[in-house]
Amino acid sequence: MEKINSIYIVDDDPITVFGIRKILDNIVKCENIDAFGNGKLALESIIKALEEASEIPEVIFLDINMPIMDGWQFLQEFIKLPLKEKVRINIITSSIDSVDRENWEFYKTQTHHLVTFINKPLRSEELIKITKSA
Amino acid sequence: MPIGTKSSLRDYLIKQLPSATAFINTDFKVVHASDQWIDTFNFSATEVFGSTIFDLFGSPNKSWRRILQSCFKGQPTEIDPSTYVDHNNDQIWIQWQNIPWYDENENVIGAIIQAEEVTQSVNNQLELEKLRTCHNSSDDHPTDAKTAEGEILLKTLIDNLPLNVFIKDLDSKKVLVNKSECEYLGVEHPEELLGKSDFDLYDREVAQISRDEDLQVMRSLTPILGRETANKKKDGKTTTFLTSKIPLIGEDGAVKGLVGISLDISDLKQKEEELRDLINVTSLQNKKLINFAHIISHNLRSHAANFAMLLDFFVNERDTVEKNRLTGMLIEASDNLLETLENLNEVVAINANTNLNKKPVYLTKTVAKVVQSLSAFLKTNNAKITNDISEDVQVNVIPAYLESILMNFITNGVKYKEPSRDPILKLSAIAENGNIVLSISDNGLGIDLKKYGDKLFGMYKTFHHHKDARGIGLYITKNQIEAMGGRVTAQSTVGKGTTFKIYFNGKN
Repeated sequence: MEKINSIYIVDDDPITVFGIRKILDNIVKCENIDAFGNGKLALESIIKALEEASEIPEVIFLDINMPIMDGWQFLQEFIKLPLKEKVRINIITSSIDSVDRENWEFYKTQTHHLVTFINKPLRSEELIKITKSA
Repeated sequence: MPIGTKSSLRDYLIKQLPSATAFINTDFKVVHASDQWIDTFNFSATEVFGSTIFDLFGSPNKSWRRILQSCFKGQPTEIDPSTYVDHNNDQIWIQWQNIPWYDENENVIGAIIQAEEVTQSVNNQLELEKLRTCHNSSDDHPTDAKTAEGEILLKTLIDNLPLNVFIKDLDSKKVLVNKSECEYLGVEHPEELLGKSDFDLYDREVAQISRDEDLQVMRSLTPILGRETANKKKDGKTTTFLTSKIPLIGEDGAVKGLVGISLDISDLKQKEEELRDLINVTSLQNKKLINFAHIISHNLRSHAANFAMLLDFFVNERDTVEKNRLTGMLIEASDNLLETLENLNEVVAINANTNLNKKPVYLTKTVAKVVQSLSAFLKTNNAKITNDISEDVQVNVIPAYLESILMNFITNGVKYKEPSRDPILKLSAIAENGNIVLSISDNGLGIDLKKYGDKLFGMYKTFHHHKDARGIGLYITKNQIEAMGGRVTAQSTVGKGTTFKIYFNGKN
């Protein structure tokens, strides 16, 4: 079983958060799985971790439609952070809007982090493939 | 001469007759003649008497002989004027009277021939005749007749064309206008327009444009064809024309002016505009529909995805406790789906009720009613509402929507208050371009419109940490305002507050 130090789930839908957690329990060994209701909360947590030189998440599950700060706004801020580590960001969405796919294509080229795009519903077979260090 | 005998007296009297008169016997020989006769025909007295009339006037004239013979039978005859060449070789006209000559016993003994010179009157007659012939011949002249006919045809054609036709001289003054042009400019006779320029007839600006076109056409000798022009009369009435201006060249090859032809396309133009409005409305509605379809597919999809995921867990779960937990989650997912459907239903209902049951209501009365119904909520939050709306302000609305809109903006203003101060809301209204604009200002958290401006009125968009924020209120409010033909804008400063402006459409 894959071992990961820290995973963030950024999603405002408790059912999705519950689902991701449940699947992750069975496919990875991870002590720190944290969930955030919007992009702003997750970003603040990462900035705090940077300042305290504590653990930065290796994998982020990112929803797009969220209040306060949505997935794209989060990504925009995240790629500006002075992070040497390569982080895997998995965009998880029920959106079938082509604009969202175009946004993903754009952000992929703007950063050294690994950005993937996956449509809901979530299946554990798929989650296994994308829950690993970048 | 002695006047002793009866015959000598007669001879004397005949001699003195003022007219040229000759007496002939039945042998056509001249018996008596007046001096005037001898003088008129320049005879010598000796040759006249005893000569026949035919000897004197040349070869015997058959018809004259016959006339004289019937004269001898008592039938006087006048002969039409005929010519006679006198001693000066001048042609003179003579009218002959032949009268029977009776003796005392009423027996015809010869004829009295009177010759009257009628040259002058014949010449006059001839002159007149000549003139008449001349005149007649001019009427009969083939090209002249055709020109006249052509002119009538052209005038009929020009006057009956459903086009305004005019000819202008080098100074752009009208020298010809047709009936349509007269009707358009509201005059009865073309004379009222002749000599006038566009500056006399139209709005100055329009006249200047027209004059510039005229000059261009006359200078370049290149016609303007089918140009769309807006004409504004002095009374402000605007007409759209499709105008052609063609340079008019004189016989000497120099430009004389221009021929203008205008087709009134105002009706077409108006229809085109109506059509464009319709297209705008339709494309706007289409855009809204697409947007709504998008919202539906997105929102339903997220629920469907949750169901699929939870069911997948449920099927593979053996632990009873965990199964119960999953059942609880499924119920929650189902409730969420129902709520979403209710929200969507509400939006559909709003858009389906467009312009239905709109009626004028006093804005301030509805505000008071809403504030009253929210009194407990306002009191709990220490909120203060200032209503500056004048009592006579009326808006044309669906009353239930207006209440819902006011309710939403007021509760939002209080709900998203700045924690350090008590919420204050100010309501005011002004009239602007025939619409009533309602302003609702709060001193709350404010919102970064640079970041969220395009999402502010979107569905399921929330911008603050608040337990009750569902992201549906402003979306519904916006739909209600638009369904009544209005619109809504927002201004905001983070930390200071937000002002919403609601534009109520003045028209029904």
